[in-house]
Amino acid sequence: MKIKIEHLKKNYDGKSVLNIEELEIPSGKITAVIGPNGAGKSTLLNLIAGIDLATSGKITYAGSEAIPRNQITMGFQKPYLLNTTVEKNISYPLKIRGWDGPQIEERVQRLTNELSLSEFRKKKSWKLSGGEVQKVALARALSFSPGLLLLDEPTANIDPSTVTEIEKILKRFNREEGTTIVLISHNLAQARRISDYVVLLNHGKVMEANDCAAFFKTPSKEDSKRFIAQEIIT
Amino acid sequence: MDDCLFAFCVTHVGSFFIRGKMDIILQGIKEGISLIFSGDPEIFKIVGLSLFVSTIAVVISACMGIPLGVLLGTHSFFAKGIVVRVIYTFMSLPPVIAGLVVFLVLMRRGPLGAFQLNYTPTAMVIAQICLVTPIIVGLTYNIVKEKAPIVNRLGLTLGAGRFRRIKLLIVEMRVGITTAVISGFGRAISEVGAVMIVGGNIKGQTRVMTTYIAELKGMGNYERAIAIGIILLFLSFVVNAVLYSFQERESK
Repeated sequence: MKIKIEHLKKNYDGKSVLNIEELEIPSGKITAVIGPNGAGKSTLLNLIAGIDLATSGKITYAGSEAIPRNQITMGFQKPYLLNTTVEKNISYPLKIRGWDGPQIEERVQRLTNELSLSEFRKKKSWKLSGGEVQKVALARALSFSPGLLLLDEPTANIDPSTVTEIEKILKRFNREEGTTIVLISHNLAQARRISDYVVLLNHGKVMEANDCAAFFKTPSKEDSKRFIAQEIIT
Repeated sequence: MDDCLFAFCVTHVGSFFIRGKMDIILQGIKEGISLIFSGDPEIFKIVGLSLFVSTIAVVISACMGIPLGVLLGTHSFFAKGIVVRVIYTFMSLPPVIAGLVVFLVLMRRGPLGAFQLNYTPTAMVIAQICLVTPIIVGLTYNIVKEKAPIVNRLGLTLGAGRFRRIKLLIVEMRVGITTAVISGFGRAISEVGAVMIVGGNIKGQTRVMTTYIAELKGMGNYERAIAIGIILLFLSFVVNAVLYSFQERESK
């Protein structure tokens, strides 16, 4: 799903936190949104997800201004799991979309296998560790094969093996199901590893948006060079 | 020798006085328990009416209070702060005041006097609704305002419509809502002032456990008062045991 952003502004208490003249997020690719703290990354994702309203400007989803709620989902840094079992969490979006029992079972089984959650299927959500919670939230978000998946630092504070599992499944969904993925990451190595396209935000503005390889190899803007250099040094 | 005399005094004289005072209570409990198992129809009728009035009041209060609490917790409007403060105040509304207001509204010269509801179980239900509804609204509001933004955001990002998001919120708050309803029931079953004023403690018609205990105490019939007291405590225990089991089951 191609996302087109035009003249998008968001103010909080009269202070501008996001001001994007133009930005296109390519369809069927993994886009990493990077930038320092307070750059407006989460605000941008919230606006695309439709959980926050823009002060002005417009976002179009595959040519339409209407938010296709049934095709969009979002994962958060601190996900909220429903107070029930792992499998009921994963199947919730499928139930509200009217999937039948065998279809739900097949999908839940596949996702729990892929994310090494099979043994936790009957486990209550509040008994899971941080990494398991993140994996369940991701499985739930991916369960209905969304057209657009927005992820706000999905691998922050998670152990490396879980990060690898999460990256693997994101790549698979992107490749096989054509899911457009936009993820915020503070980890440049991760952005380089999994993304096809990179957007650098700073002070609410797009500093550079380019293909991943080109962005890291030959950044065209001074801000990008500085940011990459600083992040690599720190 | 002095030590032995002191020990004798403490053991025997002390126990004589304590036993003397305790005997009245112990005897009351003993007779009370035998009264419960005697199958006294009057006691069963009183217990039945107490449960009926309180249950109906709590069901009606829950039907009004839970949606009101959810609305209050999920919406912003003018003077919301004042509304919340008023609800918090009404959560500790003295039962006699609730009883008095309901009595004045329902009395012959009152606005609803034509219905002639005073001194009927209906009036008692109305009085208890006035006491219980603010408790359910207030407690529901407290849980909703804490959870609603997170659950609403989750529902929205998973594609749930407005109705499903409200349903999801209520399901997610089930333990808290059950606690609110049980708290309301505890308030209803144990209050005496309001039902005494609007019900009048009429034998066979509006007599409930609490008003009967008050009357029996006045008559010096402590055994019967203790019997009713034990039943009241037992019912309270059962209701709270059910709540505790539910909470335990949900947290396992």
